[in-house]
Amino acid sequence: MTEESGEVVRVERTFAAPAEDVFDAWTSPEVMRRWFHAGPDWDTPDAEVDLRVGGKVRVVMRRPDGTEAEAQGEYTLIDRPHRLVMTWTFDDDPSNEQLIELSFSESEGSTTVLMINSGISTDERRDHQDEGWHGCLDELDRILAG
Amino acid sequence: MISKMANDAFKALAHPLRRDIVERISRGAATVGEVTRDFGVSKPTISRHLKLLEEAGVVSRVIDGRTHRLALRPEALAEVSDWIGSQRERWERLFDVVGEYLAERKERP
Repeated sequence: MTEESGEVVRVERTFAAPAEDVFDAWTSPEVMRRWFHAGPDWDTPDAEVDLRVGGKVRVVMRRPDGTEAEAQGEYTLIDRPHRLVMTWTFDDDPSNEQLIELSFSESEGSTTVLMINSGISTDERRDHQDEGWHGCLDELDRILAG
Repeated sequence: MISKMANDAFKALAHPLRRDIVERISRGAATVGEVTRDFGVSKPTISRHLKLLEEAGVVSRVIDGRTHRLALRPEALAEVSDWIGSQRERWERLFDVVGEYLAERKERP
């Protein structure tokens, strides 16, 4: 396991749809607009998807109290309908650029999506990066789930 | 934000050998001998790593005569686990939205 790129969150799910459809859903501005709808009182004033390498993806969510939360990234690899890689930064931790890697594999009309979200850290945790704490999180997740 | 204690837990788990130790205890290994068997590193090295795990509150040690028993302290890991959970939840929600979107598209003519 490389410590630098320690995989932190891994989510896998299978959708009953062909890979092209699932890939397109993933890059749809409509999906982005809905993603941050945490409740009926929320709204999403802005969501943009510029699907090309170097293009931006951005979503702004407005909470019922009027405060906004934002996340954005940049596509670094687009291989429809197999792979999609983008950087990702939540505005609540702007100095931490994360990496999202998605792979799509179709089998008998269903498509399994694996997402690996790596590079998560906070300033406090970066203090301990010398020992490469990144790699431990996935492991811990597994231990605790078992 | 992450408290001092949780940060210690992050640090405690930031080494492959210490993660192996935690994993062995979680699988039921109980004595220091069982937990540290076959690592192929020196006893002082093992002791140093064990000590760090104990100091971080991740592992506790009960001395029973000549037997040293180790146990995990899940409460020390809870905050770390909560934090991982909150990261996971964000992405799980995106997976949910994609699923709903695909289902709606199917219904459309």
